[in-house]
Amino acid sequence: MNNRSGLLSTISAIILFFVLASFAIVLVVKNGVVQQYRILGTARDMQAWVWTQSNHIGTFFNYRVENKRLVAENLALQQQLTRYQTAERVLDSVAVRVEPDFSYLSANIVKQTVNQQRNHLILDRGRKDGIEPGLGVVTARGVVGIVGAVGEHYAYVISILGAGQTVSAKLAGSGAFGPMTWPGTRPDRMLLREIPVHIQAVPGDTVLTSGFSTLYPPDIPVGCVVSATVSQGASQELTIALFEDFRTLHSVYVVRNNHQNEIEALYEQIP
Amino acid sequence: MSRSRSILFFVLVFLVQLAISNFLNLGPWITISLIPFLILQIPLQRTPHVVMLSAFGLGLLLDWLSAGVLGLNAFAALMAAAPRRLLYRLIVNGERQEPLWIPLLRDTGLLKYLNYLLSLTAIYLAAFILLDCVSVRPFGFILVKFVVSTLISTLLGLLLAFAFQRRS
Repeated sequence: MNNRSGLLSTISAIILFFVLASFAIVLVVKNGVVQQYRILGTARDMQAWVWTQSNHIGTFFNYRVENKRLVAENLALQQQLTRYQTAERVLDSVAVRVEPDFSYLSANIVKQTVNQQRNHLILDRGRKDGIEPGLGVVTARGVVGIVGAVGEHYAYVISILGAGQTVSAKLAGSGAFGPMTWPGTRPDRMLLREIPVHIQAVPGDTVLTSGFSTLYPPDIPVGCVVSATVSQGASQELTIALFEDFRTLHSVYVVRNNHQNEIEALYEQIP
Repeated sequence: MSRSRSILFFVLVFLVQLAISNFLNLGPWITISLIPFLILQIPLQRTPHVVMLSAFGLGLLLDWLSAGVLGLNAFAALMAAAPRRLLYRLIVNGERQEPLWIPLLRDTGLLKYLNYLLSLTAIYLAAFILLDCVSVRPFGFILVKFVVSTLISTLLGLLLAFAFQRRS
């Protein structure tokens, strides 16, 4: 009983202390000009700090939503860009075709490898989303791979970071093109081969997709030249630093060439 | 010291403090305060609530009558009053169970009384000077003002105790 009353007395004394201290500080703030600015300034600083921290926390929890929004926005821009590029070519060739060459579908990477000799990715899009084997997979900063197999909800992508995988790429300045392959060492380096020796490639030159395959749209920046060596005296072999960091990759676009069937039909006509 | 003499002594010391606050201009480096000494004159067996309310009221009255920043002395007095009992137990110890007993210099001895008074004065002036000067004055100034003011105020309190409390 005594203990309880003692505890209550202590608690009430602590409450009284804080009430009186708060009252005194309010009086000081109201009556002292210097203290008013100082204490209110400190209070504002604390308020700003709390707002900043809560904003950080909010941003953290909104990350996924914001990321989805950005991906959707990026996709729309990518499709808009493709339409403009197509329209430009239409004007150049006075053709009547108005359908864009490529259409895009955003996808998230569920799983991927980067440290094997043949790497792959699993995407969260499948047959129900219209994904088919043989479609290209890209980002705004490079080429990722080719859809190898498709399930109902997921797709298996063969990464360009794999032995035997080739991407047709060109130098931005000269337009000289060649096959780009992965040497199997670092996930951020590729080799652009068969560049004629008279083409001067200097470190920093941008490398783009050539558009000479039906898989990938042209002019996607892929990387930049790091070094050049002459291979067997006939051509140059350029080491390319990829723009895309495969180790931090989360979202990609699956690309469909809207004229692929027509192009394949042409190949079939050749005896 | 009888109750009436205690009250008279209390009032007199408060009037001295009022005179110091209103008429004695010692410059920005020194703040003399006898409020901690007055807090010691509140009977020890009073509950913390009574001690805090009394000290707060005393400080507020001083603020009001000395035309200072209202709340400054009240805040400092509250800070000194809250740990008074704890400080007494830590420094002096040995209390009488009389409801109106006030520990005097002759009861505690000089050294313990000095430590007790010094601690309370230091807490009081730390709160007062910090609230009054911090971020407006440099740290060196605050430190010097605190040390000088604490020493002078403690000495003055001790002189009052010597003069009026050594004998009954």
